[in-house]
Amino acid sequence: MSVLTLPAQPGQDTRPAPVPWRRMLWVTWRQHRTMLIGITSVLAAAAVFLLIAGLKVRHDYAGLVHCDFATVTYPSACATKISHFNNNDWALGNTCLIFMNFAPALIGAFTGPAVFARELENGTFRYAWTQGIGRVRWTIAKLTLLGLVLTALAWAFSQLYSWFFNPFLTTEDMNVLAATVFDTRGIDFAAWVLVAFMIGAFLGMLIRRIIPAMGATMGVYLGVMLVAWLVLREDYPVAINTTNAKLFNGPSSPNSPWILKGWTVGKTEWWRYIPVSRFWPMQFIESGWLLVLAIALGGATLWLVRRRAA
Amino acid sequence: MVWVTWRQNRGLLVTVLTGFVVAVGAMVFAGLQIHHDYAALVACRPAGSQTCQDLSSRFFGTDWHLAQGIHVAVFAAPVLLAMFAGPPVLARELENATFRYAWTQGIGRMRWTVAKLVFLSCVLTVAALVISQLFSWVFAPFLKPENITVVSLGIFDAEGIALAAWTLAGFCIGAFIGMLVRRVLPAMVITLGVYAALAGATVFYLRDHYPVGTFWPMQVFEAGWLLLLSALLVASTVGLVRRYAT
Repeated sequence: MSVLTLPAQPGQDTRPAPVPWRRMLWVTWRQHRTMLIGITSVLAAAAVFLLIAGLKVRHDYAGLVHCDFATVTYPSACATKISHFNNNDWALGNTCLIFMNFAPALIGAFTGPAVFARELENGTFRYAWTQGIGRVRWTIAKLTLLGLVLTALAWAFSQLYSWFFNPFLTTEDMNVLAATVFDTRGIDFAAWVLVAFMIGAFLGMLIRRIIPAMGATMGVYLGVMLVAWLVLREDYPVAINTTNAKLFNGPSSPNSPWILKGWTVGKTEWWRYIPVSRFWPMQFIESGWLLVLAIALGGATLWLVRRRAA
Repeated sequence: MVWVTWRQNRGLLVTVLTGFVVAVGAMVFAGLQIHHDYAALVACRPAGSQTCQDLSSRFFGTDWHLAQGIHVAVFAAPVLLAMFAGPPVLARELENATFRYAWTQGIGRMRWTVAKLVFLSCVLTVAALVISQLFSWVFAPFLKPENITVVSLGIFDAEGIALAAWTLAGFCIGAFIGMLVRRVLPAMVITLGVYAALAGATVFYLRDHYPVGTFWPMQVFEAGWLLLLSALLVASTVGLVRRYAT
């Protein structure tokens, strides 16, 4: 009996058996291997650089242990060492800090838009979306797999970067809550990279052309970053109100709290501040809403994919 | 040729022009506010009064953050332009294979390439020159109070003619790498890397070895070698176009 003569069985699923998720892993790798290999190589090269530079910074920093920054006199052996550290090591550290702050925007712009916009630009989506796997599962698989890989890479890289940057916290009187430092450490950097990737993927599907989507990704990312930095972070529910002025006396150090504002009621002075010990709660709050945003962007991308006529 | 170049790259040119107009508007607005606040602060007497302290905290708080934001944006502009403007100029035609059509028109592929590169370079360089002059004006009040000199790292690159020269060189690097790699996305990544390496080498190494040490001679020297580099890159790009089999 041939298949053609078989009458349709009521109640029986006549659709082809869905492709196992595991196969998607291979297809995703095969389609995006250039990007994955590229991003891994760039991060690996940067990691080697950070490792070498970090060893040098630590070596120079060890020479400063016996120097007191507050009471140093000129000229002295300590003054020469400190000046060398500030001119060479800190110039390097500051450059890396700036790069690290823009890194998620760049990673997002180069990885996100291409995921869907390339298929739309080349017209291969007609082929891809009509396979057995179905376009919805196809989209979920790609976003999840690439997002996970990028987040893991970013997390590992930010750990190495934090190690590299630690000596500067002391020498430059910065603390881990400082705007440009906070989002390069802990789990925050990885969360920002994930969001940047999702913004890129969403805008790639929305604009449907890679290069304009890349530009837009950078713009939107910077917008979200500025909102987090200038508006949201101060309002995370970790701040403490106090009248104890002693907390803020003494020279500034990496353990100094972040003072949000001060005001006067009657004759009492009040301060609102965030102590450095609230670093991890703040990290979880920020990474949490970033994760929610990333999932929402993934959902919006999925909606666009479903709506688009093949 | 100007019309065809405009027609082919209008997406880029419209974006650059819009960005330019927005940037000029924002900088004029910020600059007027900063200069106004600075004049008020300098004229304020007696220095310890509450009014003067408020003016001071405004100038060193809000205004200083504004100026720093503008500084970072101005500083990042050349590398973004290098990445987004340079590689697509030739690589997009190669990727889409439209070069077969474009290069076999009456104009000839060499003149075609030269016309495109020169027209786009001129537009970008002039825009960068205007932006850097505006930036110098916006940032001027902060130089003395913040203990910054015009040869400081980051300031030198954004003032005088250095920013225009870097924008031009960045665009030429991008166009050359686009023609060399022949694919837009990889060319963009490589352009970013090459530009960062060149800027890093210049800031941390080359500048210490310039034969001159004051602002304008240094500016002219740096713009000079960047212009030379750009000319070389354009010549190499045209050479690559010539050798490329249609």
